[in-house]
Amino acid sequence: MRTNILKVAASLAFALAASQAFAHAQLQKATPPVGGTVASASEIRLEFSEGVEPKFTKVTLIGPGGGAVPLGAASTAAGNQAVLIVPIAKPLVAGDYKVHWQAVSVDTHHTQGTFEFSVKP
Amino acid sequence: MSLSKIGWPLAALSGAFAVLWLTPAFPHAVCGARTFPATLAIDDPGVLDELTLPSVSWVPNNSDGAHEWDASFSWTKTITPGLSVVIGSGPTWEHPGGYGWNALDTALQWQALCIPDAEFMFKVGFDVSWGGTGTGMFAGTGGQNTYTPFVDFGLGFGTLPQSLKYLRPFAVTGEFSTSTPGQDYTNGSPNVSTFNWGFTLQYSLPYFNTQLAAIDNDFLKRLVPVAEFAFQTPIYNGAVAGQTTTGYFQPGVIYAADKWQVALEAMVPMTAATGHGVGVIGSLDFYLDDIPNRIDEPIFPHGLGIAPGI
Repeated sequence: MRTNILKVAASLAFALAASQAFAHAQLQKATPPVGGTVASASEIRLEFSEGVEPKFTKVTLIGPGGGAVPLGAASTAAGNQAVLIVPIAKPLVAGDYKVHWQAVSVDTHHTQGTFEFSVKP
Repeated sequence: MSLSKIGWPLAALSGAFAVLWLTPAFPHAVCGARTFPATLAIDDPGVLDELTLPSVSWVPNNSDGAHEWDASFSWTKTITPGLSVVIGSGPTWEHPGGYGWNALDTALQWQALCIPDAEFMFKVGFDVSWGGTGTGMFAGTGGQNTYTPFVDFGLGFGTLPQSLKYLRPFAVTGEFSTSTPGQDYTNGSPNVSTFNWGFTLQYSLPYFNTQLAAIDNDFLKRLVPVAEFAFQTPIYNGAVAGQTTTGYFQPGVIYAADKWQVALEAMVPMTAATGHGVGVIGSLDFYLDDIPNRIDEPIFPHGLGIAPGI
């Protein structure tokens, strides 16, 4: 009986893992980079491990003075729902910025995170 | 523990239980920006779908002085988004002692709270180890169940101030439970109730990579160094059975991919009664909620409206 349980459990893990992935959207890479320094930035690009829903995904950008920086509407990259692109409405001045994101993957799992980057003078 | 006093079956059961309580790997948990990986000794605070297959441990000398191998599996299935059941078991080999499958173990657990911005969560649950389901050296150890209510919590350090930002990847998790056999004695031999307690301290490089500074190494950015401390303290019949507190310190590392993880830890006895010699434990875990399949969703994905998460 226990051998059968093991077989069933193994099958559940492996044999069914063959279709499209729906899961927690974990941040894989960001542009500007997490903790990095850039000369300028015209958009925030977040690359997730899974596809995200732009309508339910929220990104805010806090500038050096503590105020929110205006952002455009979020969208996903053409042909890649795991890449979220958020335009920055106006050029960034030099200083430290904080990005806060809340993502909802296509199967409604929620994830969130915060990181900083700097724009050099 | 005196083997002549209670006989090999109960001695084996007791010794194996001391290790087995410490060996199953448990599901990962997500709360806000924090992912608590599955740890090997202390259950994490989440209730997500997961399969541990296998978890394997070896200790050179357990509390009975026996050389011991343990293997186990554990499957967690969500019923509602905040409620899941767990089923697990596995074999034990002891020398001297023999071989046997441990009793079937099941648990019901509820995600009682998650505060995303605080990276704090906890769950409560109730575990039953079903008497009479063991085989081999565990077959003759009585038919009573063992009941274990438990609480598990986790706290990430992500709210630390900017001046301490490099400490933010730290997190602690902890567990408190009591294990009570259904009978005080079996064939005249005492059954011991225990208070199980412990905690982990972990430093998440995945958290570092996504919150503090990008790590330009695909291997390093998925590592979570961890130190676990797990103890069992007899609270009833301990003196009669000659048992005292046992526990292990388990330093190690977890490699956490997006849909699975592998963990490897040393097992360092923390008391003389635990045994001696450094053992090792490892596990492979699959995050079923993150692996596309037909069973990754809760049976009732919108809950039942009974309580938060249920």
